Amino acid sequence: MKENDNEIAIKVDHVYKSFNIYYDRANTLKERMLFFARNKRREKREVLKDINLEIKKGETVALIGVNGSGKSTLLKLMTQIIFPNKGTIETHGKLTSLLELGAGFHPDFSGRENIYFNSSIFGLTKKEIDARLDQIIEFSELKDFIDNPVRTYSSGMYMRLAFSVAINVDADILLIDEILSVGDQHFQEKCFNKMRELKKEGKTMVFVTHSMESVKNLCDRAVWLYDGKVRMDGNTDEVVKEYLRVTT
Amino acid sequence: MNIFQKIYNYRELLKTNVKKEIRGRYKNSILGILWSFLNPLLQLAVYSVIFGALLAGGDKTYHIYICVALIPWTYFTTAITQSAFTIIGNGDIIKKVYFPREILPISVVTSGAVNFLISTIIILAFVLGAGLGITKYILLYPFILLIQYILLLGISFIVSSVTVYFRDLEHIIGVILMAAFYATPIVYKLSDLPANLQVIMKLNPMTHLINAYRDIFYYHQMPDMKMLLILLGISLVLTVIGYFIFKKLQKGFAEEL
Repeated sequence: MKENDNEIAIKVDHVYKSFNIYYDRANTLKERMLFFARNKRREKREVLKDINLEIKKGETVALIGVNGSGKSTLLKLMTQIIFPNKGTIETHGKLTSLLELGAGFHPDFSGRENIYFNSSIFGLTKKEIDARLDQIIEFSELKDFIDNPVRTYSSGMYMRLAFSVAINVDADILLIDEILSVGDQHFQEKCFNKMRELKKEGKTMVFVTHSMESVKNLCDRAVWLYDGKVRMDGNTDEVVKEYLRVTT
Repeated sequence: MNIFQKIYNYRELLKTNVKKEIRGRYKNSILGILWSFLNPLLQLAVYSVIFGALLAGGDKTYHIYICVALIPWTYFTTAITQSAFTIIGNGDIIKKVYFPREILPISVVTSGAVNFLISTIIILAFVLGAGLGITKYILLYPFILLIQYILLLGISFIVSSVTVYFRDLEHIIGVILMAAFYATPIVYKLSDLPANLQVIMKLNPMTHLINAYRDIFYYHQMPDMKMLLILLGISLVLTVIGYFIFKKLQKGFAEEL
């Protein structure tokens, strides 16, 4: 890989995304034939309209905006969970998304086994997981509980384990949605430190968050989405200041 | 990134998925993995008694005749039935994490193959127990299994992705497979049918696979290699077509689920 400061990590090019909202969805053939009018009662909701964004390698970007402005949709598009109706999204480098912590955890298996399951979803091989195992367990502070089934965990323990796995995947690009509120004060502090560390290592990170405090703390750049469009894009302090001025 | 590279990178996920499917199937049941043997054995017992009385005509090895066909057939039906449900069943993860979706149908077909390999012990036990013995033709077993694997992969790609948009398929498949059981020479001999029916039966790919398994385990003769190679070709084409259908449809999975 070229070591070029100006290299693009994520390129969003004229992206449009709309969802069909069904009021009452006919899923089966029978329903479709009996209630053929049902599917007609739907709305097309345009969530993103002509988004253009270039995120360079090593940048830490926050996506801010009110609820329903399309932040999470944009993040999902970058992850390739959903795909745009129009336009293209390119990503360069290994990408990990923390859209929801603990997706794919299997409650009956132990914490240790779930580390393997969860990491393998992120595309790690057994060898790579073995190498990270101790680090993950240590970061999660689960100690002896690590061999208990995950269903016996408290929600805090669950989140800690999930976060520890995701943060140790060693991706080039991290997409993070609303999860900066993991665990207690102590653990949150630890997560922030870890992310600052990752930032120093030159990882690209994109956050979706409502916490302006963490935005200012971590990000060099903020993108303000409003009604599916980019309203402002630039230096964190300026964008946050303007955002707070308009919304409050 | 091409598909092979992608799957190779995610090989650990494929492995844990296959393991989960084999282990998870009999989780919380007292007999556990033993059901892998008991299920086909009990099914075999029922068929042997009923169809034995109806069709065997005094053939002492009739139960083995069924056995060598029933076990690959079980692999065929279980893999397809599970494929229909695999994307919907994993909807939770699909909506939250990116990973190559192809891993899901592939692990269904692969875990089925592992189960089939284990169940082959039953075939061997019966064949040896009845004194039929084993001949060099058994060396063709991996080749026939490979054809079945590729055939199933193609079907699985199509079934798993189409079911997401058309949920009825899950039930339609159940009916088709039930009919297909009788349209495949599992409990009867193909040669017992009227000639015009035989022609139709030969359009069924499973007919030829079952015949091949029977040739190597039961009749101890060379299977129809020309037919198997044709079948391999058809299966490969089907898998490629299936993959493209899957690839096209998978873009909407997260929204449809």
